Amino acid sequence: MSETVKQILDRFQSDPYMGRQGKVYTDTSDFMRITGGDVLVFGDGHYLVLRDEVERSYGVEDPKYWVKRCRHLESGERRLLKLVFYEKFILQMGDIKVTCYRSPRKEARILGLVRGDSRFMQGFSAEDEKGNTIRVLDVVMGKRLDNWIYKLDVDHKTYFFTYLPKILEKFIGACEAIAYLHANGEKHGDIRRDHLWRETQTGDYVWIDFDYTFDFHENPFGLDVFGLGGLLLYIVGKGFYSRNDIISLFGDENKAPDIEPKDFLLVFKNRLANLHKIFPYIPKELNWVLMHFSAGASVYYETVDEFLSDLRPCLKKWGKKQ
Amino acid sequence: MDTNKILVAIDGSENSKRAVEYVADIVKGCRDFDITLLHIERLPDRDIFADEDAWKKACVAHRQKIESFLSDNKQMIADYGIPQKRVYTDYVESCHSPLEEEPSYCSRGTSIAQDILHVAEKEHFGTVVIGRRGVSKAEEFMFGSVSNKIIHSGKDCTVWVVQ
Repeated sequence: MSETVKQILDRFQSDPYMGRQGKVYTDTSDFMRITGGDVLVFGDGHYLVLRDEVERSYGVEDPKYWVKRCRHLESGERRLLKLVFYEKFILQMGDIKVTCYRSPRKEARILGLVRGDSRFMQGFSAEDEKGNTIRVLDVVMGKRLDNWIYKLDVDHKTYFFTYLPKILEKFIGACEAIAYLHANGEKHGDIRRDHLWRETQTGDYVWIDFDYTFDFHENPFGLDVFGLGGLLLYIVGKGFYSRNDIISLFGDENKAPDIEPKDFLLVFKNRLANLHKIFPYIPKELNWVLMHFSAGASVYYETVDEFLSDLRPCLKKWGKKQ
Repeated sequence: MDTNKILVAIDGSENSKRAVEYVADIVKGCRDFDITLLHIERLPDRDIFADEDAWKKACVAHRQKIESFLSDNKQMIADYGIPQKRVYTDYVESCHSPLEEEPSYCSRGTSIAQDILHVAEKEHFGTVVIGRRGVSKAEEFMFGSVSNKIIHSGKDCTVWVVQ
């Protein structure tokens, strides 16, 4: 007869487990039923479920029932388990709608590709008894990069000259990581602010969550390049700036610089791309890179290499000035 | 470059059907023109399917749909009075196709426009015709535009864009 949760916990844990003792699952298909206190058994491991993962946005918690925060009982370490959940949804980006899919197979394949590469979240995939591809992920010990930058308690000018050179250097490394995926025929699929983390101990940047995919034919990496542009804008500006933010920044509409529609992003029309207008110490070369993502652009980056070939010289020039 | 050879790139859409109609209408009274209907295969992304079988089924369905489209459009050209023997079809398979064939040339999936231009150059087409759906600037940035790339990258040929 198979073991109960209590028997498994007695076998692995020296301390008594005081929480709910649920069921043992070897088939994870019905992930909504699996909850804290259950144990998942697959591959060579036993995983005690602690709770469902939640995504926090604007103070609201959105549970992700297919992602379980767990303890790997063999090692005692924390793990995130992503169970199989197929989803097709429409991503609204400005006026554009993009049909996206969630693909466990894609994420499992990328985890194999980037094994040992600290620029990406680490983990492996394994199948449960029904052949569901479970991704077993190490927990990234750190914070979202954008949150870390936002909380730096300095004005923009100080941030720009004190922190940004190092941040930009590391960001270029993160872009090179995405170029590596593309060179291997893979895309990240969901490059946005909450998917680039900063490890607390090393300060290194780590990409997470590769399970989104989409069916673009002529420009398969366009969405990734667009995502990198948005991140660069946030990093350089220490935030995004809407028309109202700009007025607040200058304290008076009459004192604010003349901003035209072409100065804003092409897709998100309320985010200023032409940061040089509000922060004139931003070098023109760096601003030029940002302007490739603006409504006024006539040439776009099609590849990360093109983007980097303009961005790298900005950092070099900066280094020479300092 | 052979000015009597016209390459019409089709993707199974209404826009590409319009491009075929336009070419047939232009060429109907002229002799000595060869028309080739070209399709660069773009299979559904395998990652959006739960398993290989489901993906293969979708690939077979895609291929059948395009082959039927090619056949219908070939007939449509004939209906304009253009001899069938002057109309050809070319289906360039994806290199990632699961349908176990070994074509002499396949599409690697990085750019449909480059694949079309490769065929045009290799087979000396004088004219490349493509339908255009009309995309916004932002859509072009994110999704790319086959017709724009052909306009910018095409060499030694005339490009007709039918909108």
